[in-house]
Amino acid sequence: MPSSTLLAQSVLSGVFSGALYALMGLGISLAWGLLRIINLAHFAFVFLAGYLVYQCISVSGWSPTLVVVLALPLFFLLGVALQWLFARFSVDEFASLLVTFGLTIVIESLIQWIWTADVRRMETPLSTWSVKLGPLYVPVVEAILLLVTLAVVVAAWAWLRHTYVGKALRASAQNPVIAAAFGVSHRRLAFVLSGVAAATGALAGVFVAVGSPISPSQMFGSLGVVLAAVILGGLGNPLGLLAASILIGIAEALTMALTAPSWAPLVSFSLLIFILVLRPDRV
Amino acid sequence: MLNLESIVAGYGDAVALSDVSLEIAAGELVAVVGANGAGKTTLVNVIARLLPIRSGRLTWEGVDLGRLPPQALGDLGIALIPEGRRLFGAMSVEENLDMGCYRRSARAARDEGLERVYRMFPILRERRSQMAGTLSGGQQQMVAIGRALMARPRLLLIDEPSLGLAPSVVQQVFEVIRAVHAEGVSMLLIEQNVALALEVADRGYVLEGGSIVAAAAAADLLERPDIRAAYLGGA
Ligand SMILES: Nc1ncnc2c1ncn2[C@@H]1O[C@H](COP(=O)(O)OP(=O)(O)OP(=O)(O)O)[C@@H](O)[C@H]1O
Ligand SMILES: [Mg+2]
Repeated sequence: MPSSTLLAQSVLSGVFSGALYALMGLGISLAWGLLRIINLAHFAFVFLAGYLVYQCISVSGWSPTLVVVLALPLFFLLGVALQWLFARFSVDEFASLLVTFGLTIVIESLIQWIWTADVRRMETPLSTWSVKLGPLYVPVVEAILLLVTLAVVVAAWAWLRHTYVGKALRASAQNPVIAAAFGVSHRRLAFVLSGVAAATGALAGVFVAVGSPISPSQMFGSLGVVLAAVILGGLGNPLGLLAASILIGIAEALTMALTAPSWAPLVSFSLLIFILVLRPDRV
Repeated sequence: MLNLESIVAGYGDAVALSDVSLEIAAGELVAVVGANGAGKTTLVNVIARLLPIRSGRLTWEGVDLGRLPPQALGDLGIALIPEGRRLFGAMSVEENLDMGCYRRSARAARDEGLERVYRMFPILRERRSQMAGTLSGGQQQMVAIGRALMARPRLLLIDEPSLGLAPSVVQQVFEVIRAVHAEGVSMLLIEQNVALALEVADRGYVLEGGSIVAAAAAADLLERPDIRAAYLGGA
């Protein structure tokens, strides 16, 4: 039996990986819940952003702040362009799954072609810095990730809950015809939502690149666990997503500490199967 | 004010409205009655621009509505209380009412509008945070009416407001319809309860198989033996 300090340290690292799952999954949850689009290419966007950040900061030596400030609007526009394609070709929920899977493969090949399949490591002063909190070590990058995720998730929740645009998006997801009768232009709002979703993906990409070594194959590694969190948290529900992600993150970390690392993926997939059997209405 | 000239509309190959002409003057309450499947909801949906017009002309205050999208109608002062309420069931009562004043021009009067709706239907104030989908049928109808009133319409399209409601709620709903009409709002009222509809209406039309078969002052329609026989149980 591992010591209580070790267990506490794993719970903490579970919280941090859960935060990254939530930040990666937010865009998928929003687009799935409110636009009925299952955008697997979101993972490719996250990694594309990660590589661009790596390239600009580690290779070209740009200032990290500048890179983040540029990446967010760039990916917003990418999200708008993607939604334009979905609308142009009237892509429905099922077709979106296939189309975006294809797009993911294309972007993955593009990343492999530019940056090769090798693992890239980004060295920033932040990446090795941790502070000691009692008996626990807290990596600073992960603490920032947690704070950013909390801020983004709460902002997304407040946006959907308290603004006219957010209410209109939810109304339109429930009843597009009646929402239109009250002035809601779903088409226009879908662009905004898709842009916001992609921008949150870019933010996740920053932490994918800064937090740990990055390689193209990780793209598919995170897909299962993030989708599990998205479905468990409730589609289009940012707070639910955060809770589910952290729950899964902690469950994985504890599984790793108590058994072996190779058992961790089993946690998210058993959870996913469990939900699909017990609560198929959540999808 | 509202003018329909020889409107034809339908679904696929089927014609649901053939050559329908109808008008509503400013401040007038016009009832359209007819059997199930006569085309009443189709008529409402055509005016609300939720269904395309095959031929004919639809104008409101001189503006041709024929090619406008549904989103444009709110700014022209037209609001809809759809058949079967059609609320946003997973949103709260107050959020449903907020959707009524979604248009930029209507937002400034939100608080005033909420106060007015809550005064009309006090139960909604108590239930303001409850999910609309969990309300009783009568309360849902109140929300549907409130949502439309939040848009401050000059023309209200009301499709079967009494459907499935207890008599006391029907009475409450019709009191509100009367009161809003008294404020000068024009209305198109579709109603199964023909006696009740013709009682509050200024004029009435009878729709049969997609065509208007009678049009007259509401009081005169109520007196006509053929109408009484067909829609008022022959009494
Ligand atoms: N979405 C639709 N697709 C195909 N046909 C439809 C559709 N909606 C209505 N119809 C048909 O059009 C005709 C008119 O229907 P409509 O709903 O306008 O009648 P209504 O007078 O409102 O009836 P009710 O009193 O039952 O509400 C009917 O024959 C109906 O079957
Ligand atoms: Mg009808």
